[in-house]
Amino acid sequence: MFETISNWIAALLTLFIFSFLYKDNPFYRFAEHLLVGVSMGYFIPLVYNNAFMPFLYTPIFLQHKFILIIPAIIGTFYIFRFNRKLSWLSRYPIVFGMGIIGMGVPMSMHASVLVQMRSAMLPIIDINIFLIFIGTVTILLYFFFSKSHEGLYGKFTRIGVWFMMIGFGASFGYTVMARLSLLIGRIQFLVGDVLKIIQ
Amino acid sequence: MNFFERIQALDRRWIYLLVALAITVPLVLVFDSKTYTTEPTENIYQLIDSFSGRDDRAIMINFMHDASTMPELFPMEVAILRHAFLRDVKVFTICFTPTAAPLVDYAINTVKEEFPDIQSGVDYINIGYKPAALYLPIVLGMGDDIAEAVETDAEGRQIANLPMMENIQNYNEMNLVIETSGSSFGAMWYIYARPRFGVNVAAGITAVMAADAYPFLQTGQLIGILAGLKGAAEYEKMVDLFAAQDRPFSRERAREEHVSITDDAVLYKFRVARIGMNAQTVAHILIIVFIIIGNVGYFFEKQREKKV
Repeated sequence: MFETISNWIAALLTLFIFSFLYKDNPFYRFAEHLLVGVSMGYFIPLVYNNAFMPFLYTPIFLQHKFILIIPAIIGTFYIFRFNRKLSWLSRYPIVFGMGIIGMGVPMSMHASVLVQMRSAMLPIIDINIFLIFIGTVTILLYFFFSKSHEGLYGKFTRIGVWFMMIGFGASFGYTVMARLSLLIGRIQFLVGDVLKIIQ
Repeated sequence: MNFFERIQALDRRWIYLLVALAITVPLVLVFDSKTYTTEPTENIYQLIDSFSGRDDRAIMINFMHDASTMPELFPMEVAILRHAFLRDVKVFTICFTPTAAPLVDYAINTVKEEFPDIQSGVDYINIGYKPAALYLPIVLGMGDDIAEAVETDAEGRQIANLPMMENIQNYNEMNLVIETSGSSFGAMWYIYARPRFGVNVAAGITAVMAADAYPFLQTGQLIGILAGLKGAAEYEKMVDLFAAQDRPFSRERAREEHVSITDDAVLYKFRVARIGMNAQTVAHILIIVFIIIGNVGYFFEKQREKKV
């Protein structure tokens, strides 16, 4: 019974949101505002139950791991962001965040730059590697702005533009697929879970 | 006003209506279509399959998303879990965002309904939610000792004491991490865990991210990718073709043989991505037709303007 009622409420709100495709209306705005409010309302107890209780309250008060009081206090410094005089304190928790990012720089450099460069420098043994080679070189030439894109050099950069266009086309195709998938998910919910037409 | 002028001036709401119909009709009137598997999906399936029946091998699924990307990611999570339960592959599940925690339970329960003998702690361990601040220490710590890195599971039990951990200690045993995500594709794992511990990393991602993820496949940093609903559909097909029929995996068979999706013997929840891909196909054809008509109309208009 509960599932049926909740499904019908969800279906109604889905239709309210879809109604925007016709034109802006009070039903759409109601659903939009409700979403923002419910999201926040949902997130607060979720974080309280899943993060605050098991990782702060229980370890400190029940397991007596008092060392956790230090990061807890530093964490609360974030709140001082809203106070002009004490906002400098909020920089301390940010510093820890930056430290973690800094720690990841060498490994990220390796994984995202060096390994990628290495794989672009393979012996040209098949057509795919040849295309990667041509694509990489011509696109890099395109982004070299110290020389005007004219003559033979301009023709090379033009090939780079074509490679980029193909890349953008592939990304756009995937984006269309992703957006349609979200719509498919909603319609599967409406005709399956709510109307029970498909099981 | 000729045909192309009318099309150019068409109210966009008619297009919305046509797209809605193009998606709804194939979902209600399910028809058989062929799902062609691709190498990135086959690689993931093959590796998981190679762990079957071994209590010293396991996989881990990292749920890195919330409900907004469920239509694409949830079918692949269900398909992977079903594959693992059918083939007796040990599974860890984990998440680093609080909103993903209910989705982990939902995915496990959705599959577990059909596998009454599957037990938590024996066949799978749901580590549950761990704060994002502990992401890096956990990724690195698992390289030495999984039980020490995460300590407790979602039910608060000491992981070291669970029967599944008897022959599993670190990445040497839990040798595949699959991150299902709408925003990253296993970066923490292929940046930190793969170079240092050699763990295999795969990604189940939304289609939007697929083009960005492919370079990492080419370098071998990712062993496979499930790209959007299509990736989920391919995986569902392979589970039906091999694991559900207790047949060994074969790439040739995966590409040549096809499984009917109109057959009600397979539960709807285990073919939901393939049925979704039917709707994708019809909607894509419609969009291609729109693009062609729009472009032809544009060129006709240009020609007409030149003549004038």
